[in-house]
Amino acid sequence: MAKITFISAVAAALLMTAGVAQAGNVAAGKEKSAACAACHGVDGVKGLDETYPILAGQHADYLERALSDYKSGKRKNAIMAGMAAALSKEDIADLSAYYASLSGPLKSSKRR
Amino acid sequence: MSVSKQTNFKAAVSGMVAAVGLAAMLASGSAGAQAPAAAPSAAPAAPAVKGDAAAGAKKNSMCIGCHGIENYKTAFPVLYRVPKITGQNQAYFVAALQAYKSGERSHPSMQAISGSLTEQDMADLAAFYAQSK
Repeated sequence: MAKITFISAVAAALLMTAGVAQAGNVAAGKEKSAACAACHGVDGVKGLDETYPILAGQHADYLERALSDYKSGKRKNAIMAGMAAALSKEDIADLSAYYASLSGPLKSSKRR
Repeated sequence: MSVSKQTNFKAAVSGMVAAVGLAAMLASGSAGAQAPAAAPSAAPAAPAVKGDAAAGAKKNSMCIGCHGIENYKTAFPVLYRVPKITGQNQAYFVAALQAYKSGERSHPSMQAISGSLTEQDMADLAAFYAQSK
């Protein structure tokens, strides 16, 4: 029991440090991802071409920021503005959680 | 990483950014004075500069301060983890840097850093990071 309490405390602390990131629902995100897959690829790696970023394995909070900024118009992209406009905060959190959960080639960069 | 360590890093990075910005300003100032009317060659839709991954590997010192640290967070304007860039698509990578440089995409550090990069630098960095897939 004490262990569970400890784990919840750690989880809560992690969530708080994640700031804006609300824990999205991976399964719900997958269901909402059809429109994304058309360009970014079903796997979030192999998109239409190399001008589309790889999403699989990217940090969820970064993806949330990107989608929120597209929605607000802070980040400008003709295609993404239209896509993000239709998304609720929850949709954004779910989609971000889903793509972050996929495995892909992205890594934090190393010196070499 | 401890909070204080991250703070130190941030201070170092912002110092570096300021230095880079200053250097860029100086560079652009002198270039403008020397060549006020550089031939308007403006090759329309110039073919993308070819990136050299080996050259990119020598130009990434400004990147690793943030992107080389696992789960490093940027504090402005809101707190979130900086994106993983190793393995990212080359063409997207260049487009992102260009968007920061033009101001179309905003982030204080990234705008300052991209402002100091030439097309060749961007292509080289993109080649380097894409290659590390």
